[in-house]
Amino acid sequence: MVAANTACSSNAKFLGEEIPPVNAAGGNLLGVAGKPDSVGYGADPDLMNPVVPWSRTMTHPQLKTTSALCDFILPEDDRSPAASAVGVPDFIDEWISAPYERQQNDRAKILAGLEWLERESRNRFGHGFASADDPQATELIDSIASRDPAATEQSDLVKFFNRFRYLAVGAYYTTEEGIEDIGYIGNVPIAGDYPGPSDEAMTHLSGVLEKLNLTMPD
Amino acid sequence: MAKHEGYDAVIVGSGAGGGMAAWVLASKGLQVLMLEAGRDYNPYEETPMFSAPRDAPLRGTGTADKPFGYYDASVDGGWQVPGEPYTSAPGSDFMWWRSRMLGGRTNHWARNSFRMGPYDFKPRTRDGLGVNWPIKYDDIAPYYDKTEAIVGVYGRNDGLENHPDSSPGVLHKPPAPRVGELLIQAGCHDLGIPCVPARRAVLTRPIGDRSACFYATSCGRGCSIGAAFQSTTSLLPMALATGNLTIVTNAMVYEVSLDDNGNADRVNYVDKITGIHEAVSGRTIILAASAGETARILLNSKSRYFPDGAGNSSGQVGRNLMDTVGAGMSAQFPMLENRPSYNEDGARGLHLYIPFWLYKEQARGELDFPRGYHYELGASGRSEPGMGIGGIANFAGSYGKTLKEDMRRYYGSFLSFTCRGEMIPNANSYCEIDPDTKDRWGIPTLRFHYKWSEHELKMVEHFQETTREMIDRLGGIMRSGDKSPEDAISKGGQIIHEVGTARMGNDPDSSVTNQYGQCWDISNLFIADGSVFSTKSHKNPTLTIMALAWRNSDYLAEQLKSKAL
Repeated sequence: MVAANTACSSNAKFLGEEIPPVNAAGGNLLGVAGKPDSVGYGADPDLMNPVVPWSRTMTHPQLKTTSALCDFILPEDDRSPAASAVGVPDFIDEWISAPYERQQNDRAKILAGLEWLERESRNRFGHGFASADDPQATELIDSIASRDPAATEQSDLVKFFNRFRYLAVGAYYTTEEGIEDIGYIGNVPIAGDYPGPSDEAMTHLSGVLEKLNLTMPD
Repeated sequence: MAKHEGYDAVIVGSGAGGGMAAWVLASKGLQVLMLEAGRDYNPYEETPMFSAPRDAPLRGTGTADKPFGYYDASVDGGWQVPGEPYTSAPGSDFMWWRSRMLGGRTNHWARNSFRMGPYDFKPRTRDGLGVNWPIKYDDIAPYYDKTEAIVGVYGRNDGLENHPDSSPGVLHKPPAPRVGELLIQAGCHDLGIPCVPARRAVLTRPIGDRSACFYATSCGRGCSIGAAFQSTTSLLPMALATGNLTIVTNAMVYEVSLDDNGNADRVNYVDKITGIHEAVSGRTIILAASAGETARILLNSKSRYFPDGAGNSSGQVGRNLMDTVGAGMSAQFPMLENRPSYNEDGARGLHLYIPFWLYKEQARGELDFPRGYHYELGASGRSEPGMGIGGIANFAGSYGKTLKEDMRRYYGSFLSFTCRGEMIPNANSYCEIDPDTKDRWGIPTLRFHYKWSEHELKMVEHFQETTREMIDRLGGIMRSGDKSPEDAISKGGQIIHEVGTARMGNDPDSSVTNQYGQCWDISNLFIADGSVFSTKSHKNPTLTIMALAWRNSDYLAEQLKSKAL
């Protein structure tokens, strides 16, 4: 079972579509990303002073489209800022520019997906995705945001969106702002014994156990 | 040319077995030389305590360079090490983890420390499969006590069948269970399954210079306060403090050579910095290089006495390779959505676990698999976010403000269940020297053969059925899909518990060492790592490796003292 998603429309006509290759005839609307470095941080990097040794490779228009999509997925609300305000687009550039296999697989997927988004936006609305208003962006994304991300058969576009969302969300909720929003409390030293769940957490658990007809362990 | 003459013992490897042997022997006044293939490593200066994922490349996520993530305490470590290949035979896909650093894999392990029990040492007596150990539980029990006391293990004595209690006062107080663990425990009680405090090598009260756990920052990075046990913050500093231990790092050992009388004479190694071949000699030689590397050294040590490798007249070196049976399932629990926040880090590992509980049913023939497994519970749902938190978004399937609400709602509502089971040794699982491959120093490398049998697959199936029942009882929704046992079972070596490649026994024809890790063929050559395990049990091997290394070292020291060696 997947949670109800009221934001998704039933418009799924693009679900079976393949993304045209980035270098297909017609050119690249977002330009051609730089060639990624081939060397990673190695098997014995300095853990105390981490650095990202590879260069970022997105073109400015690719980064702009990335930024717009990040903010569409994670907009500002009353609890936390938009993704672009905490460096998520730059992180996605860092990720797809990394010399490792998984990141290089994502690179192909994501650059092709961004290009599709740009072309589709221009075709439908006469301007690029970065200039799309919320209803326009929603229309576009609903055509590629699968209702069932666990489905084994997914088109390239669905895979692109799921992967992009995964990366944007991972990047966002590891920032200070994201951690505060989601309510992670920890990574601070505790003197003495670990205290266990708070009273509030125990009260909540008691309610859960009651509904399940289970007894709180001693 | 041989150098460093005059040592009572030369130890190859600095991890659990090598560290323990070094400390026991050095504390008895013996002169010890330790050779470590990796670089020197100082956990007091190199551990990224508290560092945030966002400060590491790719948010610290695992890569080919660092499979367990950027901050993992592994140096030149992983299932692939640059310049140090290994191969798998057709039809096999074995994964061999190495860690090239002082302290080896003790720097990053999960610290799960379960004692093997009486049945585990005499499994053939129970079910007719595999072999019995040459020792019984009572032989090793005092060494478990001593090892736990010095290592520092939290846990509780629950008096469970085949899960022995420690002596009074040995165990440290276990940390309080967290919400997910209490939920699972309540469900287990209803289903008649035990769920008790886990045992981990993490201090909850100080020992000497080592502080008690302060319940923050991942143990896998290493622990600069010494709360989570690793060889480099306890055994090695203690051994060095005696003045009787010398450590040489970057020493890639490839051979034990024999003198004219067939005794182990020298250890040959490549100095990885200079590339120069060196040799050291000692009255005794102790291999503690890991199950794979120890077998490789023995098999590469060919001589006129032992054309098939040192200590290998039985043909058992490299044989009986076993890893833990691994499988995992996960579920989402709607009743845990939007639950209150609190600091759920705890000791950054197991607080509770499920020990194997069906011994009586098994003895009555009611199970279709032999041996046991335990559950490790992934129950700290509100743990520090890393890239994996993106999985919640794809679970929710939403975007925009709805997604941000969904993230708050679902965070902490997932629990995972991990199977850790016993493999029975089989003729299809072993390692040998690959005639066609050498590493960067020209040392012949290992080729692995590995195959699970029906026993392990049936065990996984039982785990899957039991877990489904448990998740259902707790109102959870399965997330990990329906996999066949063949698809669900881990690859050999993936759980990084490989043992058995130079097993101990009572019969020189079917084992490599006697009960003290002393090679039948070469009386001054000892083995002090997981190679000597006769069988695997489902319990994580490190604690037993250390207890055996201590017992072996006591025996070795007595033999030296009595001039038997």
